[in-house]
Amino acid sequence: MMNPSRRATRVLTLVNPFSKRAQPSAMMDRYSWYEIVLIYLGIFVFLFFMLAPFLEGFLVSLKPLSQLFSTPYSFWPENGSFEAYVTMWERIPYFAIYIFNSLLIATVATLIVLALVVPAAYAFARFSFRGMPLLLGAFLAVSMFSGAVLLIPLFRLMRTLGILNTYWAMIIPGAAFLIPSAIWLLRTYMMRIPPELNEAAYMDGASQFYTFRRVILPLARPGIIVVAIMTFIGAYAQQFIFALTFNSKTEFMPLPVGLFAFFGRQEVIWNELMAASFVGIAPALVIIFFLQRYLVGGLTAGAIK
Amino acid sequence: MGQLSLKQITKTFGTFEVVKDVSLDVHEGEFMVFVGPSGCGKSTLLRMIAGLEHTTDGDIVIDGKRVNDLAPVDRGIAMVFQSYALYPHMSVFENIAFPLRVEGAPAAEIKSKVEAAAQILHLENRLDQRPGNLSGGQRQRVAIGRAIVREPEIFLFDEPLSNLDAALRADMRIELTRLHKQLGATMIYVTHDQIEAMTMANRIVVLNAGDIAQVGAPLELYHKPQNTFVAGFIGNPRMNFLPVTCTEVTGTGVTVDFNGQRLHVEVEAPASLRSHLPGAPLTLGVRPEHITLGGGNASMTVTPSVMEYLGQNTIGYAPLPGGEETFCFVLPGTQKVPADTPIDVTFSTADCHLFDSDGRALPRRANTEDLGAPALQIERTTG
Repeated sequence: MMNPSRRATRVLTLVNPFSKRAQPSAMMDRYSWYEIVLIYLGIFVFLFFMLAPFLEGFLVSLKPLSQLFSTPYSFWPENGSFEAYVTMWERIPYFAIYIFNSLLIATVATLIVLALVVPAAYAFARFSFRGMPLLLGAFLAVSMFSGAVLLIPLFRLMRTLGILNTYWAMIIPGAAFLIPSAIWLLRTYMMRIPPELNEAAYMDGASQFYTFRRVILPLARPGIIVVAIMTFIGAYAQQFIFALTFNSKTEFMPLPVGLFAFFGRQEVIWNELMAASFVGIAPALVIIFFLQRYLVGGLTAGAIK
Repeated sequence: MGQLSLKQITKTFGTFEVVKDVSLDVHEGEFMVFVGPSGCGKSTLLRMIAGLEHTTDGDIVIDGKRVNDLAPVDRGIAMVFQSYALYPHMSVFENIAFPLRVEGAPAAEIKSKVEAAAQILHLENRLDQRPGNLSGGQRQRVAIGRAIVREPEIFLFDEPLSNLDAALRADMRIELTRLHKQLGATMIYVTHDQIEAMTMANRIVVLNAGDIAQVGAPLELYHKPQNTFVAGFIGNPRMNFLPVTCTEVTGTGVTVDFNGQRLHVEVEAPASLRSHLPGAPLTLGVRPEHITLGGGNASMTVTPSVMEYLGQNTIGYAPLPGGEETFCFVLPGTQKVPADTPIDVTFSTADCHLFDSDGRALPRRANTEDLGAPALQIERTTG
């Protein structure tokens, strides 16, 4: 027989740190010590793999340029400074505009996508109409092409529409390629909202639009936010190729093209490039951080049963 | 107001007929229960009355007006769903107020009406909470509150208590009956639970595979089922059916041969059947609770394979020769009847039912009032 007090401590030390149960010492949440070591080791390896480039990038941004090519290579910066974060603004005078352009393009694209996708996803989730599977399949098929494959036809389209060298030339294709996956994502989320709520609202005299606005939209909010984040990141990331192809005006260029300016004819100014990358990502990080605070789970608790 | 008529309602899904030519009158202020096994079409029928499903054929008439093409609100109907269907992002107050907000009622009116509904349903202290924080019974009351706040003429309930535990269900049964008295509105209630049907209904509609098997007051269905389906469905444990042969039809009833015993059952033999009856196979129905040990004028020997001792009564299950049917008997109190030992059980022919080979009952002669059923209170005329 095991001593009860020892038994208690043993249970305590082996509590699953990841358990989301109210009672974290539940039987199925108990791990032995080597399982916990393995779990943390796995997490560490994974995170290191993901974050090492960021760490290296940050350290590079602190080093003077000469140190970057020294042998032996020193991982930690000697007499590191934030100087590159100052000089980058002088080297690329338009840099602030590039950041603004990137944010503008991504934000407008996200708003367009949301305005189109939220009603579309609702329709795909709630109504059944002729040709629905075909349409959904078509959306899936479209999203299999990357924008790069369609650059030439898109270029001709933009030229015909007369929107080359404007913000729209980067916003419209950006939004278009993000719509299919957004529809699929949000449709899945909206299908989880109990259809009884629609029936109940209908019994209470609410119109389709009233139900959509007062019942469905508030309940779909976490899903809409996820779609907004995904679209924003997507729009932020895919700007390079559209901007390079459809825009030749410096003042409309987004951040990725702006970063390209650090690649000189002779050398790449790595430390300022890294510094600029971090500065450029910062606004997007802030926006995403702000959005994800609205991601609250369990909104539909208590709807049925 | 609140008089509903169904006229030859039919509903098909594809080629499958879910509701077959159902005609029914629900009187004003009546508590009508639709009961039947799953898949009998009772929920579909309710959803058609609600306006959530189209009828394939037939008319739904409320207060003399055909409402087939009207939206639920214009029919003067409110519905309480089995799953409650509360709006989880709204407070209890807003949930109850929802139909009024849709109407665009003034804020003061909304407040007074919601508070009145909350008082009826004992939800005064819960108005600020979200449905997720309420117990099952409270959620159900919020769903009812949302229905009563619009003051409809007809309430529809789709198995509203099936998600509650047994004790809460019993409480809610009483509350719903009280609510029906208080509001005086017509209520149509769908359930598969015959206890709910028997306790709450003024009249019960028993549905079987899309057809109405019988309509009547609860005890009328119990004492005078019109066919084997209703006889087997109403009453728990279900009625025992024993094969017998008709030997004679007299002025007072029908005499049958049951395992060599001649039993005289007081039923009316319809004139059309009279000449065919002698020699024909019939089914003798006797309820488990009418089986006794000794007494009665018919007896049989059974060997119970399973005995259940509930304290309040003792239930035995015995296989019948032929194998398909199980003979069940309920004895009052705790009886020392061991399993796997043959015993003689008896019953009285006065408690028996007779059914012809098509499953139709030969009407019992006994007066419903003598059997303990109250006079039918549903014969209120609606002007």
